Amino acid sequence: MIYLDNNATTRVAPEVFDAMQPYLSKFFGNPSSAHTLGREMKQAVETAREQVASLLGAADTNEIVFTSCGSESDNWAIRGVLATQPAKRHIITTQVEHEAVRNVCGLLEKDGYDVTWLGVSETGELDLDALRAALRPETALVSIMLANNETGVLFPIDEIGRIVREHSEAVFHVDGVQAVGKIPIDLKNTEVDLFALSGHKLHAPQGVGALYVRNNLSLAPFIVGGAQEQRRRAGTLAVPNIVALGAACELAERDDCHKQVETLRDKLEDGILEQIPNACLNGTQDRAKRLPNTANISFEHVEGQNILLLLDQAGICVSTGSACHSTTHESSATLKAMNVPYTAAQGSIRFSLGRYNTDAEIETTLRVLPEIIEKLSAMSPYVL
Amino acid sequence: MGDADEPNFVGRAASLICGAHVRFSLQVDGEHIVSQAKFKAAGCNVLVASSSLLTERVVNIPTADAAVIGQDATALRTNFIGLEAEREHCSQLACDALMAAIREYSDAARGEWVGDEALICTCFFVSEHTIEREIATRALRTVAEVTRACNAGGGCGSCHQLIQEILDTQDDLPR
Repeated sequence: MIYLDNNATTRVAPEVFDAMQPYLSKFFGNPSSAHTLGREMKQAVETAREQVASLLGAADTNEIVFTSCGSESDNWAIRGVLATQPAKRHIITTQVEHEAVRNVCGLLEKDGYDVTWLGVSETGELDLDALRAALRPETALVSIMLANNETGVLFPIDEIGRIVREHSEAVFHVDGVQAVGKIPIDLKNTEVDLFALSGHKLHAPQGVGALYVRNNLSLAPFIVGGAQEQRRRAGTLAVPNIVALGAACELAERDDCHKQVETLRDKLEDGILEQIPNACLNGTQDRAKRLPNTANISFEHVEGQNILLLLDQAGICVSTGSACHSTTHESSATLKAMNVPYTAAQGSIRFSLGRYNTDAEIETTLRVLPEIIEKLSAMSPYVL
Repeated sequence: MGDADEPNFVGRAASLICGAHVRFSLQVDGEHIVSQAKFKAAGCNVLVASSSLLTERVVNIPTADAAVIGQDATALRTNFIGLEAEREHCSQLACDALMAAIREYSDAARGEWVGDEALICTCFFVSEHTIEREIATRALRTVAEVTRACNAGGGCGSCHQLIQEILDTQDDLPR
């Protein structure tokens, strides 16, 4: 199997597996317990917290709070900020956020919040002047992602943070789920107040995430109950998963593989665009403004779902931007916001690489894909 | 997959729900047997699979039998185990395109027909005279009643309008 779907999820790294395994067997205590076993568990959680803080470049270890997943982190960040300042009823976000942000903001809009949905250019980039113009005294929150999950396009959160600080008193939340482990991050030198991450995107298992909460930021709890995580997030800590997240962050920092992944991605992207006539890139051509692991490519007049199925039969895992639900055939909100034509958006494929991909796998993909596209192009009633 | 060799009969269907588009092309021999069936589709995997299954099933059988298969999208959908009923519109779209291609053939066959009596239903080979006689003797009032009485209109449906016109004319006559 050739796995080119690392933006969906990643395999658990062997180092991560080894680190978490003892916590699924002999170290089974509750980190809130006062006995020796409990204290050992607590120690493991705190080590993981340091590892996460270090990867994110947090100023203080206590700025890291563990959650169950990236979506929980995003939901909590948004609702937690609004709960502390009920008089402010304005939110700024983008049209290309992940559903964990987009759908929460959509619900808030239905509840009467005023939401500004910033658009993007055809290359997927934000207009920072539009952000500047949208900021108001009653803006409670600005929620903007660091890396787009579909195209890999990066938003300049350093600059965005400065604009938010300069022109408003809004809290700045960043959905960083797709970026962590793929590019260097240094939160202490930014104006980011809240930053969400998810473990399974960087070789930890599914079911663990974290939220960076800048010191002294007031944030209402989302899950209420016990006094865990300094009363910020109730629920018994998932120690094996948290240890795994820590180990994954440590691995990402020690051996980041960014260059190696980028070289393979470039080879794949260049190869596809050169070999296949109806292929075009979605997102900016400027690779410095995209994640080093992602290539989102449209094959015009061909159905993405069918490309996915034939690649799957060839043992290659990818994602498509188009999803055929029972009653609609919608292309992705991100590609729609970028004004990608319908016939191209329906044929979009996301290739997302990771640290375990090899040159031989990219060669195989480049050999198999043109035949698949040719076969499917011959099936299209739009192609003569 | 592809296009049937010329001369062929083409039928299309498109969905306003999802934007999918499918085209069937059939080649039919002198005995009304489908000798080639091909499709091209821009749509989901269910549409492609439905179209592919249909082209396999309708080849080497009479157009009338092919029309009977094309009438039942539900039966076609049940080939895909675990598929939600809401996806039936994908199978339906494939059936619609097949039926359109068969009607295209039937209309052409009707036009080319040389015989003593005008041919109305090309699927089941029913003449205008037979239909008039059935309407008169059994006092038929609807197309469905005509189909039940003599099979006319039971295949591709391309002659429903013609049968209705015959019914309308008969209505005008004193009984």
